[in-house]
Amino acid sequence: MRSLRYFKKLAVIGAVASAVSFSAQAETLRLLTWGGYAPQDVVEQFEQETGVTVKITLSNNEDMISKLRATRGAGFDLAQPSQDRIVSAQADFNIYKPMDLSKIDTAKIIPSMLAATQKNTEFEGEVYGVPHVWGTSGLIVNRSTASTVKDYTDLCDDSLQGSVSYRLKRPTLIGFAFALGEDPFAAYDNPDQYQAILDKVETRLIECKSNVKAYWSGGDALLNLVRSGEVSAAMAWDAGGWKLNAENPDIRFVAPASGALGWIDTFVLPRKTKAEDAAYRWINFVMQPEIAARITESAGNFTAAQGSDEFVNDTLKTQFKESFPQAALDNINWYPPVPAGLEEMEGKVLDRVKAAN
Amino acid sequence: MSDHAVASATEPRVQADLACTRLSKQFGAFTAVDQVSFSIPRGAFFSILGPSGCGKTTLLRMLAGFQQPDSGDILIKGRSVLHTPPNKRPVNMVFQHLALFPNMSVAENIAYGLKRNGVPKRQHAALIDEVLTKVHLPGYGKKRIDQLSGGQKQRVAIARCLVLKPAVLLLDEPLGALDLKLREQMKIELKRLQQEFNTTFVYITHDQSEALVMSDQVAVMNHGRFEQVGTPQELYYQPKTAFVASFVGDSNQFAATVQAQTDQTVTTVTKRGVQLQCYSELALPPGAPVTLFIRPEVIQVGVCKPDPVPDNCLAATVLRILFDGARSQIQVQTAEGAVLLAALPQTADFQALTPGRSVYLSWQARQGLCFAATSPQHPGAVP
Amino acid sequence: MNRASFHRNRSQFRLGFWLLLAPIVLWLSLLIILPHVDMVLVSLRERIASRQYGFSLDNYTAFFTEPLYWNTFVRTAVMSIIATLMTLIIAFPVSFYIAKVLSGRPKIALFILCLIPFWVSELVRTYGWMILLRETGLISGALQWLGLAGQPVELLYNDVAIMIGLIYTSMLFMVVPLVTTLDSLDNSLIEAGYDLGGNGWQVMTNIVIPHAMPGIMSGCIVVFMLTLGNYLTPTLLGGKDSLWFTEQIYTQFITRFNWEQGAAFGILLLILSSLIVWLGLKLTKQSFTRVMS
Repeated sequence: MRSLRYFKKLAVIGAVASAVSFSAQAETLRLLTWGGYAPQDVVEQFEQETGVTVKITLSNNEDMISKLRATRGAGFDLAQPSQDRIVSAQADFNIYKPMDLSKIDTAKIIPSMLAATQKNTEFEGEVYGVPHVWGTSGLIVNRSTASTVKDYTDLCDDSLQGSVSYRLKRPTLIGFAFALGEDPFAAYDNPDQYQAILDKVETRLIECKSNVKAYWSGGDALLNLVRSGEVSAAMAWDAGGWKLNAENPDIRFVAPASGALGWIDTFVLPRKTKAEDAAYRWINFVMQPEIAARITESAGNFTAAQGSDEFVNDTLKTQFKESFPQAALDNINWYPPVPAGLEEMEGKVLDRVKAAN
Repeated sequence: MSDHAVASATEPRVQADLACTRLSKQFGAFTAVDQVSFSIPRGAFFSILGPSGCGKTTLLRMLAGFQQPDSGDILIKGRSVLHTPPNKRPVNMVFQHLALFPNMSVAENIAYGLKRNGVPKRQHAALIDEVLTKVHLPGYGKKRIDQLSGGQKQRVAIARCLVLKPAVLLLDEPLGALDLKLREQMKIELKRLQQEFNTTFVYITHDQSEALVMSDQVAVMNHGRFEQVGTPQELYYQPKTAFVASFVGDSNQFAATVQAQTDQTVTTVTKRGVQLQCYSELALPPGAPVTLFIRPEVIQVGVCKPDPVPDNCLAATVLRILFDGARSQIQVQTAEGAVLLAALPQTADFQALTPGRSVYLSWQARQGLCFAATSPQHPGAVP
Repeated sequence: MNRASFHRNRSQFRLGFWLLLAPIVLWLSLLIILPHVDMVLVSLRERIASRQYGFSLDNYTAFFTEPLYWNTFVRTAVMSIIATLMTLIIAFPVSFYIAKVLSGRPKIALFILCLIPFWVSELVRTYGWMILLRETGLISGALQWLGLAGQPVELLYNDVAIMIGLIYTSMLFMVVPLVTTLDSLDNSLIEAGYDLGGNGWQVMTNIVIPHAMPGIMSGCIVVFMLTLGNYLTPTLLGGKDSLWFTEQIYTQFITRFNWEQGAAFGILLLILSSLIVWLGLKLTKQSFTRVMS
């Protein structure tokens, strides 16, 4: 018993000491974000202007949630999950802190996007996210070898045996559902209906498996597969497609006939953020049009910053226009928030696809 | 060449269990075994005695087949075994550290060789019992190796080989690890076993006492060659070389110069100017430097001058008494300053002997040996 | 020594004993026992609604009722056992050569050669294999250049690639205990084996292998555990059909947010792999203490 008390005392002393040492240092912003969203030059400029040190951890949607869940919302000061993954995570794990929109220069943000994000990240009357980078996932196609691919299901064409790649994650399920003529987003609130759609997708994905070279998990691995010619058509993000297009004009990003899937990555505050002020400063900083344009060039995707397009280089704009004629732009399926529990259903489908022969 | 002084020189192929002719082995520039020839008659206990590094282990390993000679031949029962691998040779070896298989019981250790040699399984039990009885370990078959004492392990190692009825049993200093008492017992035991099994033993050792006690024939080996082969008695009393004289048994050694020689009696003068008579079969020119060898036990110790005066008689003072029961010796210093060891007679007269007493040392010329000091160690090698 | 000083000495000894023991006890309890206790607790609950959990064994029954999980585990275990045995078959001659044939400088050199792959991280090693095996990789290119293949050959993304990667990764962990035990085998035992009439095979099976058995088993246990718990190699080299149990655990924890299921799988992996090791020891009649000493 005594030793336990002693141990507790030690722990308290340790915690206090580390807290003191933290506050003694210059303010630090620990940013949990995606690759390309915080380019080095932007970080340096921010540090110079504000004196805040920025520490970046690269991540993805699931990883962000897992990390914050493990620490119950501590360890980071600002995170960037997609808008559709905020409410369910907040409902289940209580890892975020509501956003104080008054501290954000909302005039710099494209109003329609701000409104959409506000609506999609509202939980129990509070808003949790502001939009930052947006983009789509669709198809990267090598026109010289896979010109027939116009939609997700075309990836299963017999002519593409062993030369197709996609992720074994929920965007694939959603994309295939749309390509199969369903509307999974409309079925989000109806588990039975959603399950029926998933079953259909599952059958298709299992049939399609022989076409798959490998299920990709890291963006760079996919780019390598396409670049080397080992994969001629893949389901992937637009930015990756444009990057490859710059290297090899035959490779293009194609908005699928059933609609590209639109996502918006946001800014959210982890529940135990220690540098809230710095976090707001960072948000306002990167929303300046010329800074936002630099992020667009680094990430390959456009931002929600008003007027930043002017500063983006012409190549990217041309690529964007080529991939998204007005009709395709209107056809984008934007992810609505994922209700809790759906991901478990999806997980079982993905497991079965993986295990199928 | 003295190497050929083995029992019988006539047609060794017929009678010998083991014969070697001009066997050599080099390791780089080092000659481990140098043109060794010998043959061992059936059923003999043959020892190879030599200091460490003399090449005896290499010789034994060539006999066992673990090393291939550079030249020469090995005949076992008249058949060359040069191209026979160790597992096919009719010889078995008792290793220095016995090399009993620790993961097997005593019986399994013995059965290992039986199995490998194709002895039918149903005979194993009887053969194992028989051999264990012969080595005085009846009923030990089920024991694990680590349950045995040092002496028992020895017996198992020997039984494991002898059950295979080899033409020759090679023993590589197997008694080295035992304590003194046990070693004394095992010497007798080994001799008994050798006679009981009537197998030819080739035993290598650096311990002269082991070689002398057990052997019918001993070869003294030095620098890859056999210095002398003979019975223990021959080696002890009639060493043919200075090396044999110094290696076998204890001796007082003196450097001296030849004054004269009549027949086999040589008159020499030691460095300290003492004149001593001794024996040599070889002709030694006057002035030749020689080494004298006088065994402690040939020296007669007396409190008064012996009469008649023997060939050699020295007055000396007792320095100290080295009491070792029956092997007690005294260390004495002559008037000229030479220090000698002499056996202490086990008579009442000498029980009161104390350091500082004057004594007389005497021995016959026949009992002191001398060898040319700088003479080559292998007479045959130099013309 | 009187009674009082005896007592004082004893209490001093006990204090020293506990002080020396403290780091290991702390290490064990903080880094091993506590996390596992927590894992067990997590695995025994079930999400009822948002932020609400109740006691349940569903996570465990899911493993046995859903053939997918069970099959994945069996596949992982069988592949790991095969990989372990193949590693043993490849490592044994290498170790024997290092321990018994070589000596001095070449011995150390070869030993270090076995160690070199471990100077880079597992990820880099695995990417190395991917560069070699992929369709546009070195081996495929070499085969085409030699005229042995008419078109690019895909050597990656199959079970053989997983095997190669696993064996390569495990090699050292087999070689080290094997070299150690074989080093401790007295050469004269091998010679005695020959001398008493055994041929190479008989000496190997009757003398060398029984002696090396503790080393073989400890190597096998380490390799089996490492292989079973490997994540990178099967995932990267196996491609679409990799199906590794740790991958399943990772998926449950990280992409499904289903810690409960992940924890249950983790505990099951621990229990089942311990069971397999125990069976292995029983079958080879080795005791765990002897193998690990």
